[in-house]
Amino acid sequence: MAEPRITFTDVGKRYGKLWALRNLNVAFHPGEVVMIIGPNGSGKTTLIKGLLGLVRPTTGSIAVNGTVIGTDPAYRQAIGYMPQISQFPAALTIGQLLDMMRDIRELDDASIDDRLITDLGLDKQLDKRLNELSGGTRQKVSAVLAFRSKPEILVMDEPTAGLDPVSASKVLGRAAEVRERGGTVLVTSHLMEEVETLADRIAYLEDGHLRFILPMSEILESTGQQRLAKALPELLVRKVATGANA
Amino acid sequence: MLKVFKYTLIDLARNRFVLGYALLMLFVAEGLFFVEDDPSKALLSLVQVVMALVPLIALVFTIVYSYDSLEFTQLLAVQPIARRSILAGQLLALCTALLVAQGFGLGLPLIVHLPNMAALMLSFSGSGLVLVFTALGLLIALKQREKARGVGVGLTVWFLFVLVYDALLMALMFSFSDHPIEPFVVPLAALNPIDMGRILVMLQVDLAAMMGYSGAVYKDFFGSYGGIAVAAAVLLLWFVVPTLFSFRTFQRKDL
Repeated sequence: MAEPRITFTDVGKRYGKLWALRNLNVAFHPGEVVMIIGPNGSGKTTLIKGLLGLVRPTTGSIAVNGTVIGTDPAYRQAIGYMPQISQFPAALTIGQLLDMMRDIRELDDASIDDRLITDLGLDKQLDKRLNELSGGTRQKVSAVLAFRSKPEILVMDEPTAGLDPVSASKVLGRAAEVRERGGTVLVTSHLMEEVETLADRIAYLEDGHLRFILPMSEILESTGQQRLAKALPELLVRKVATGANA
Repeated sequence: MLKVFKYTLIDLARNRFVLGYALLMLFVAEGLFFVEDDPSKALLSLVQVVMALVPLIALVFTIVYSYDSLEFTQLLAVQPIARRSILAGQLLALCTALLVAQGFGLGLPLIVHLPNMAALMLSFSGSGLVLVFTALGLLIALKQREKARGVGVGLTVWFLFVLVYDALLMALMFSFSDHPIEPFVVPLAALNPIDMGRILVMLQVDLAAMMGYSGAVYKDFFGSYGGIAVAAAVLLLWFVVPTLFSFRTFQRKDL
């Protein structure tokens, strides 16, 4: 297998007295989509925020392409991020926001992928102010920003939330393209049915611990189920039973 | 930094609060010059309004804007750009927007009705207060996680500077009126940027004569160009110190 693109080594994150992540050791590789799941408060968002540099680990380190991330923001050039909630400067237009992000990332025309703008029907709304947009349209803008720089690493937090089924399908299709060209895609989602077709591995977090990270095919085979939504509870029961026996 | 500054400023240029601030200052200034026959008397009233209103608006607006743009700040923070550049761009844009609004609302009426040194000093002091209280507002917003709490802290800080500090200073001066405390008055005034701004303007309209020996001390110290430079330096310090703390806080902050 290729060298990991992202490596979490003994990563822990504490907010006050609460440990949101504990001793996380996991690697994500080029050309794979990993779906990160778990109950609310399990540490999914903290894991993502750690990678993005929004929070600093209390213990351990995170490396991208072999380099431990610190205060140098250059590594984020490789990352595209689609947050769950998108809020933008109210008075800017979509076009101005896209220009701003292109300027900040110093992208030239060759390094930009603008297909999603037309795919999601935003090309006719570029002069619209961001505070005039619906939640779904803001989410589409967020998707465009995430994919625009042809990222090596794509991080999507509940990417289909607020999107209509057609747009959601187009966004997930683009995520599959990122994987095909060797990118690493991390997705958190509660809507397993929408994302499971995309996922190569499933990482399950609970109480800040990584309970397991397994290939999707292995989860389905071991449980004899066709869908993740049915396979997952069965697997969790088994894991608990195994843990109890041990 | 300049990219964040440019687009934040574009956003602020269309912000209703900033436009409202410019119009409010214009309305107040023009109103006072209209009501008073003597422009110098209008200036004195204007000083009181500026010293109370400018810090309040700069503080509250900066705090509210910072909280409202938190998600966007997060989006900027995941781009390949240093956090200090994000904060510097946002702070510079906030200061510029408020200064331009104030220049329109306060500066223009002063130029039209009373183009003298006192008016210039009022503009200078008002601008200094915008910078100081924008920096303080940003620090408060970064230190407090909740918006309501941040606004509450901001209002408390404003109340302390505008009212409580002066009350304490006056009580001190009365209590020690038999002692030569004037040498301590200047540094004590410098501790409050609002007092500093007020003194600088008052000295230009020669009201210091009515302020007794303390006024003479002020006049002696702040009346010269050297004194004005010291006052400017103190205001600058009031801007720089909270700004440095903001950078330190933002650098370490979990977003």
